[in-house]
Amino acid sequence: MASDRPLLEVRDLRTYFFQDEGTVRAVDGAGFSVFAGRTLGIVGESGCGKSVTARSILRIVERPGRLVSGEILLRRDGVETDLARLDAGGREMRQVRGGDIALIFQEPMTSFSPVHTVGSQMIETIRLHQQLDRRAAREKAIEMFGLVGIPRPERRVDEYAFQLSGGLRQRAMIALALSCAPRILIADEPTTALDVTTQAQILELLTRLQRREGMAIILITHNLGVVAEMCDEVVVMYLGRVVERGPVDAIFHEPRHPYTRALLRSIPSIHAPVRTRLPTIAGSVPHPYNRPACCPFHPRCPDFMPGRCDQAEPALLPTGPGHQAACFLYEGARP
Amino acid sequence: MTPESAAARPRLLEVRDLRKLFPIRKGFLRRVVGQVRAVDGVTFHVERGETLALVGESGCGKTTTSRCVLRAITPTAGRILFRAADGAVVDVATLPKRALRPLRRQMQMIFQDPFSSLNPRRTLLDIVAEPLVANGVGTRAERVERVAELLRLVGLRPEYMRRYPHAFSGGQRQRVGIARALALSPRLVVADEPVSALDVSVQAQILNLMLDLQAQLGLTYLFVAHDLSVVKHVSDRVAVMYVGRIVEMAETEPLYAAPRHPYTEALLSAVPQPDPRARAQRVLLEGEVADPAHPPPGCAFHPRCAYAVERCRAETPALEPVAPGHVVACHRARELTLRGIASPPRARA
Repeated sequence: MASDRPLLEVRDLRTYFFQDEGTVRAVDGAGFSVFAGRTLGIVGESGCGKSVTARSILRIVERPGRLVSGEILLRRDGVETDLARLDAGGREMRQVRGGDIALIFQEPMTSFSPVHTVGSQMIETIRLHQQLDRRAAREKAIEMFGLVGIPRPERRVDEYAFQLSGGLRQRAMIALALSCAPRILIADEPTTALDVTTQAQILELLTRLQRREGMAIILITHNLGVVAEMCDEVVVMYLGRVVERGPVDAIFHEPRHPYTRALLRSIPSIHAPVRTRLPTIAGSVPHPYNRPACCPFHPRCPDFMPGRCDQAEPALLPTGPGHQAACFLYEGARP
Repeated sequence: MTPESAAARPRLLEVRDLRKLFPIRKGFLRRVVGQVRAVDGVTFHVERGETLALVGESGCGKTTTSRCVLRAITPTAGRILFRAADGAVVDVATLPKRALRPLRRQMQMIFQDPFSSLNPRRTLLDIVAEPLVANGVGTRAERVERVAELLRLVGLRPEYMRRYPHAFSGGQRQRVGIARALALSPRLVVADEPVSALDVSVQAQILNLMLDLQAQLGLTYLFVAHDLSVVKHVSDRVAVMYVGRIVEMAETEPLYAAPRHPYTEALLSAVPQPDPRARAQRVLLEGEVADPAHPPPGCAFHPRCAYAVERCRAETPALEPVAPGHVVACHRARELTLRGIASPPRARA
């Protein structure tokens, strides 16, 4: 399914939050490409801007946040549309949302209305994007419920969100997101609230649906295990910046940025010997208000070069095939 | 560890056939229409200076068990024998509230969420000194001294003691929570998901701190967690719970390397590995965790178990030894060969 032209291309995206205490540069120059049939992982710790990136693509950043600059190029039938230039509340953007790009997020409870059945919300969504009458939309909803593995879908559509378990709610949410056959699915921490055996089921479901529908997935998570399991390409973010991006195998087996390396080493591993200390990263992620100047990672970096990393901000430099890292270690290096 | 050396350590805590039922009430008269068997006959012990992990998915009863041990809630039945500092063994489950007070100093808790477990209107000094004040320990000056010592112990600067929690990151707040738990020099520390709300890079720091403090102070941990990778880094022994019961309990290494209960096997294989070359064939469980209000008859795991036979649907398996220090509640434990995770990750085919 993979094609050489990206479905979605994000270039130098900047989304800032203008607050009384100062400006938070939540996303500060993010760029990546999303291909049909492939999964892009955006990974990072709290405050890295991964969720704001997703919301920026869909133009649902809430005030005082604002998309300051950058391009979000969506390719449809050979025509390129820059979502960053569309009116966020306008007709065209509303068609993109749910139609071309759908979103599922962490807590499926809050994404369903408590006073409407899950089916009625789904029928409404389907009819918003497709020319179907109520009966046909209901049939479609039941079909989608079956597709995502909800048992007895014809009964479940008439239930309320609170009657479903966490795993079933997440399945219902996936069904809702996929009901209009989007070409890009953004999944923001889709399994974080779920138990590990349920998580395995949902990841399996996403993989199966992707294979069937050929859609692109943007998977946003802090869980590096989920990234390794699911993704083809990975973008690592730290405090609003993309610090490294590349093919999943290179990210896990030849990480270049000191942050990626340190992060990978510090994950508790199920293969580790019993009761072993873990390598750590010094300090903690600073609050986005106090983002360190120049390279945002320099105060915690084991490879910190005084006079360099605290004097300028590194750009993404090539370190391998399709692999880049924003670090002065790779200045002048030609892969 | 050999079973001999394990036996040499005195038992600090011994829980026998613990049960906690929560009534389900319905209607205007709040009549009891059923019961949730949150903890349904749990037996285990914790040796002095070791870490026992209680693991399982939501609703398995691990948190309820830990709350009963602390007598934060009163169990419905069973015994919780705790060896107090004076050597006396007391049953925490039935002790009257008054008699519990001196014991509470010896059992403390570390909470999951360092954001909601610290009062935002109180300084670190107030927060960490609170258990000292509540128990009338020391003068004010002595308490300040003790708080400074505790903050240093958990890796925070004593100068911070006049600040409020909002000035600290999640990891630092969790350190404050640990300092508070250690204020009264407890013998048993119950840690309920102490790192699951933290960023990855901070998790490692807190886990290391807990290992260091254990070595330094001889602490005993009851570690409640759902993350099997985290558990491997801190635990001597692991008890796996499913719908209110322990289904398998063993020393950490054999439990991970050669699980004997099908649920343990599935749990281990469900953990996503941070290695794209290890995208393994998993044991994917069907369905979801059973409702503890209506557990299935027989073995509660049988509807999801790939190995279930007729007997599993009718007869509840008892927890029985299969090797020294290794107990399993499965009718087929002796005949099944299950997959563990000790072998190096398999390459993608």
